[in-house]
Amino acid sequence: MKLTLQKKPETDLDYVEIYAIKLKKDNSLFEQQKKLIESQLKSSSSVFRNSFGKGNEFKLRVREYLRKIGLL
Amino acid sequence: MKGYEVINNIIIVNRDLTELDIFLRDFLNILKKHSDYLVVSGFVSIATGRTRGTEDIDMLVPVMKKEKFERFFNELNEKRFWCYQGDNVNEVYLYVKDMKNIRFAKKDEMFPNIEFISINETRKAKYFEFTHPQKIKIKDFEFKIPPIEFEILYKEIILKGKKDIADARHLRIFFSDIVNNKKFEEYEKIIREELKK
Repeated sequence: MKLTLQKKPETDLDYVEIYAIKLKKDNSLFEQQKKLIESQLKSSSSVFRNSFGKGNEFKLRVREYLRKIGLL
Repeated sequence: MKGYEVINNIIIVNRDLTELDIFLRDFLNILKKHSDYLVVSGFVSIATGRTRGTEDIDMLVPVMKKEKFERFFNELNEKRFWCYQGDNVNEVYLYVKDMKNIRFAKKDEMFPNIEFISINETRKAKYFEFTHPQKIKIKDFEFKIPPIEFEILYKEIILKGKKDIADARHLRIFFSDIVNNKKFEEYEKIIREELKK
């Protein structure tokens, strides 16, 4: 099955389609995806470590935060 | 090189491992000694190329007996994982017994985390996907996900959020060469039954 996007991309979903079509044929796009995923993990790790500390203090403060936002 | 190929019914994704994959692999290396599992939802799309961030990896696990869960929980602690819900296995097991979700992350980290979803036969759609796994492999890391058609329909019919619809669209296009219309028809009936509850 040959997949091509027939119209000019306008919506987010159009771009999801273009990306998936290209990725099917060319795995080099995975390099960008790896960068994005790892950069997001690095930022969130640093934000929460700075906010909640380390060790037992970290757990106590995270649980307190999770209770506050209703996730625990 | 193509994004993926299918060899002996295993989907081989042609990419390098990310830190998110390594986190999942570390967790599964422990879990697999104690239980079966199925990785579901957002991570399935991300593992196959959907470019978006995520904070959790959802995992279905058959509800464990107390002794088995205790051994698993203790090993997680030894290997530097912690549980959001508590440090005491007796407290945490109350969640498992009631089939409430719990979360595990690496020590001193909040994200990424594993959302550990206990299931049994009463959760029909989840039990169906659990018993019909699809193997997927990235480099030397092999794990189990739902049938692609099931994952697409679950996102389109049950979850329906903006990111779920985008994930489903990605899967439909990326796997357009291998998805099967008969399977879509079969799985849609099972998923629609879930909506009646």
